[in-house]
Amino acid sequence: MATLTLENVAQTYNPGEDPDRWALKPLELTLESGRTYALVGPSGCGKTTLLNILSGLVTPSHGRVTFDGVDVTSTPTRLRNIAQVFQFPVIYRSMTVRDNLAFPLECRGWPRSRIEERVRAVAEALGLADGLDVPASRLSADEKQLISLGRGLVRDDVAAVLMDEPLTVIDPQLKLSLRRKIRQLSDEFAPTVIYVTHDQYEAMTFAQELLVMSEGRLIQRGTPEQLFESPSSTFVGWFVGSPSMNFLRGTLERGAARVGEHLIDLAWSPPVPHGSEVTVGIRPEYIRIVDGGSHPGDASETSVHGRLVAVQDHGESRVCEIQVREQQVAVKVRREVHVPKVGSFVDLGLPRSKCLPYVEGRLATCGD
Amino acid sequence: MSRWPRRAQYLLLIVWAVFTAMPFLWAITTSFKDVNAVQGHVTYVPWLEFEPTLEAWRQIFGGAGGVNLVGPFVNSLIITVCASAIAIVLGALAAYGLSRFRYRIGPAKNKDIVFFFVSQRIMPPVVLVIPFFFLLQMPGLLDTRLGLIIVTVALLLPIAVWVMVDFFDNIPREIDEMAMLEGCTPMQAFLRAIVPNSAPGLTVAAMFCAVFGWNDFFFAFRLTFTQVQTLPQAVVALNSSIPPWWTLSAAALFGIIPLLVLAVLVERYLSKGNLAGAVR
Repeated sequence: MATLTLENVAQTYNPGEDPDRWALKPLELTLESGRTYALVGPSGCGKTTLLNILSGLVTPSHGRVTFDGVDVTSTPTRLRNIAQVFQFPVIYRSMTVRDNLAFPLECRGWPRSRIEERVRAVAEALGLADGLDVPASRLSADEKQLISLGRGLVRDDVAAVLMDEPLTVIDPQLKLSLRRKIRQLSDEFAPTVIYVTHDQYEAMTFAQELLVMSEGRLIQRGTPEQLFESPSSTFVGWFVGSPSMNFLRGTLERGAARVGEHLIDLAWSPPVPHGSEVTVGIRPEYIRIVDGGSHPGDASETSVHGRLVAVQDHGESRVCEIQVREQQVAVKVRREVHVPKVGSFVDLGLPRSKCLPYVEGRLATCGD
Repeated sequence: MSRWPRRAQYLLLIVWAVFTAMPFLWAITTSFKDVNAVQGHVTYVPWLEFEPTLEAWRQIFGGAGGVNLVGPFVNSLIITVCASAIAIVLGALAAYGLSRFRYRIGPAKNKDIVFFFVSQRIMPPVVLVIPFFFLLQMPGLLDTRLGLIIVTVALLLPIAVWVMVDFFDNIPREIDEMAMLEGCTPMQAFLRAIVPNSAPGLTVAAMFCAVFGWNDFFFAFRLTFTQVQTLPQAVVALNSSIPPWWTLSAAALFGIIPLLVLAVLVERYLSKGNLAGAVR
């Protein structure tokens, strides 16, 4: 287990390329020993490049990589002691399950007895103990990926474990139990884990800290709660959360946002002049549909009027799309909440403390 | 599907089977004939239409008035096996490098280098044979097995590289990346992770090499004289003003035995399902 740092690391595959188009823009990053991180972002945002720089499969074109303070920027992969689990199972068909699990340890010259002991422990944790002598070629896709995971977790002395969307090929029903197994194994010897995924639910439940990337930049890092409650940019608000955060474009007026006839109270007033553009960001989970029967909102809530245009049933919840002037607002309500008919006009309650001001795509600082 | 297209298919296949089997039938029957039986109209049924004789077979195994083909057969076998083995080893190594690492020779990149390899086979053999002659002459390797093995390796290498580059390109990089993450050097990753997964590609490459190596006549003809004769050379040497069809037939049948064995082995291997879905 090690603390990994990237010092001003950047990557371009074509020397002389415009820095704005680099696969990875200059990045300062410290990943603490023994913590689990999830790396999320759209395809092509540089997640895999970042992993490859950590594992040494790619030598960064700029900057320095250190493990526990030791510069490993040009250390070859095999000497970095990193374990990686790929999106698709990487196993050796010609070997048995046992040999597949033992391979990484044999490569490192572990003594026989210690290999046997460790292979058994990992196999038991993953529920593979009964089929150790089965040829790997006979397993199902799920089981193969399980072995890949086992190979990634079998070395308990690694600097870090990198997981590149390891559960993509796994059946949804199995994902939950597999995720628990990974947690269980990683809690045991507490490696530094960097988990790449585009499933934010997976990221939030698995990791202690999330790193959101976009276009080769690290946009925000924080706990799941921080990313949910205060996205640093409209991108993070859009990317994290399902459905995405709502953004209502308006202008600043007396410390509030003017959106059409509505004046929406903000959590705080952004430090920009009166009349400038401001976007109100609010999570769909925090908006209340004020229907005729329930009591109207109090001073801590802004009331907004709109027309219900669609309802999506998500099973445990429903997402209502409401047209507020020319803008769309999504509202996520629990199953048991009464939803008016599609086409009817509704009042929405927007809690003041959850209406975050964004200026030019970034969360505005507190102006006071 | 109605029955007729299916019947038409069978009919076509039967016609084709007869078409391909005929030369064999012809060669087999002819190899048991003598001068008299070859003349006149075509005959197929032994004892009824002609009196079978083992004379042709006796001749190619050193009988009186014949040429012993066993020596040339052994020469061909040694040269083909050695050259194929060397070409496969070198070819696989070269192909792995070309598939996984970026090279640059002047303006030439990986693809150009692969094309350069293949282009060796596009050139007419006549262009190659003169430099080969002088290259073998200097160290005194003309008319030796070793010399012919070296030349054959050079001829087979492009095929091996070409087949294997394509094969390695289709093996996911994660396989070797994983091996390196687990502590292998690139060479160890190749030997421990890639080679065990490459049996299908290696088999195909070996088959191509064996067939091309076994059938080479031109280079053997130009680069050996008296000491080392390969089977195709010896067969051609059987020819005289009146072609001895019976010995030629026996020689041809003798000459395809190794390829037949190879075909059966590969077919067995194929039917075990080993060539499909190598990796995942």
